Amino acid sequence: MHYGSLLLDSIGFFDSLPLAKLEVGHHFYWHIGNKTVHGQVFINTWIVIGLLLIASIAATRNIQRIPSGIQNLMEYALEYVRDLTKAQIGEKEYRPWVPFVGTLFLFIFVANWSGALVPWKLFEIPEGELAAPTNDINTTVALALLVSLAYFFAGFRKKGLGYFAKYIEPTPVLLPIAILEDFTKPLSLSFRLFGNILADELVVAVLVLLVPLFIPLPVMMLGLFTSAIQALVFATLAAAYIHEALEGHGEEEAH
Amino acid sequence: MDPLVQAASVVAAALAIGLAAIGPGIGQGNASGSAVEGIARQPEAEGKIRGTLLLTLAFMESLTIYGLVIALVLLFANPFS
Amino acid sequence: MFDFDLTLPLMMAQFVALVYVMNIVFYKPLTKVITDREDYVRSNTTGAKEQLDQANKLAEQYEQELADTRRQSQSTIASAQEEAQQIAQQEIAEVQKQIQAELQQAQQELEQQKQSAFQTLEGQVNTLSNQILDKLLV
Repeated sequence: MHYGSLLLDSIGFFDSLPLAKLEVGHHFYWHIGNKTVHGQVFINTWIVIGLLLIASIAATRNIQRIPSGIQNLMEYALEYVRDLTKAQIGEKEYRPWVPFVGTLFLFIFVANWSGALVPWKLFEIPEGELAAPTNDINTTVALALLVSLAYFFAGFRKKGLGYFAKYIEPTPVLLPIAILEDFTKPLSLSFRLFGNILADELVVAVLVLLVPLFIPLPVMMLGLFTSAIQALVFATLAAAYIHEALEGHGEEEAH
Repeated sequence: MDPLVQAASVVAAALAIGLAAIGPGIGQGNASGSAVEGIARQPEAEGKIRGTLLLTLAFMESLTIYGLVIALVLLFANPFS
Repeated sequence: MFDFDLTLPLMMAQFVALVYVMNIVFYKPLTKVITDREDYVRSNTTGAKEQLDQANKLAEQYEQELADTRRQSQSTIASAQEEAQQIAQQEIAEVQKQIQAELQQAQQELEQQKQSAFQTLEGQVNTLSNQILDKLLV
């Protein structure tokens, strides 16, 4: 009972006891005009973006025919995301989508791992705490909406208004389901990423709260693994949705 | 917060995550069993099978995560409080 | 937890900007260098293959020449051997003929000498018999 109440206290369910160690839903607000933004998310996003850009510039500053060091690593990353995109979209049309899908993968991957590997607790900010940018619902919904826009854009560019034919393609009876799909896609994408990352951090935090040393290590390793897999899943699904929009419904059922 | 709503929320959160774990548990068991069978039958395809298995496991896992999100909503962002 | 605010659109804009910048500093140059390298490797491989073909052809040619030369030398050896054998046989035959001729000559001489010896012997026998007859008759 004691542990239970401690746990609930610590995750901020009751406000009666000031034992809060785990903070969910507390944000470091910045005010822009009369709107607010989550400052800790932006700080971490900028760190992640900075890491990506520094790695890219370091890799491409002095391009050699025989790669070494950072160039080798980034070429490996590029070939990985290129193969991922090619496997989903297909040999013919994958090229223009490599930057989008690849940046999705790299950004989410680096963001997830930055949350799991860097001891953000050491850096104090006035409110809330620094963590992976992807454990904020705003980030994941932003990425998922971008994926939605991307596949609409892909469909429109390929077929023009004929893209809407896929909603009534087999039979108009399925129109509501087809429309519903467009809403469930970003919803499931964003909630999957958000839930996984938040769950990882919560599980690790709760275990650290109970047993501070060594015991949480396997769970942290599992968290790293899950983070990588979730980045892969997000990018794969984004590419698969784009492919579906490019191919159309009829051909999709053919294979 | 109304104590009744509080109690109901805690119970609902527990049920949400618990029930949401049943289906994916069965599904992941089936998938892993089939994958092991496939590897036993065709050991040279192990790498491909493992990659696909991990991806599908992540998809199934996300079903539990949806339950977890509901539980978290009930615990931390309760709409009825 | 679910408080959407200005973070969302700003994040979208930020991500789109990130995609653009990454496209310029990361995807384009590295894709270019990878395709360049693939072209380079491919052209090098085809060049190497051509050279290998050429080398193979040359080796085949040399082998053929070698075989030709060997065959030629073998025929030369064979003809030389034949010639030598012929010469040897000829000489042997000549020598044999010579020997035979000498033998014949020797035999003839022997016969002649025998004949002459017989004749002298006969003469001597005659004279001796005459002498014996004379002595007996005396």
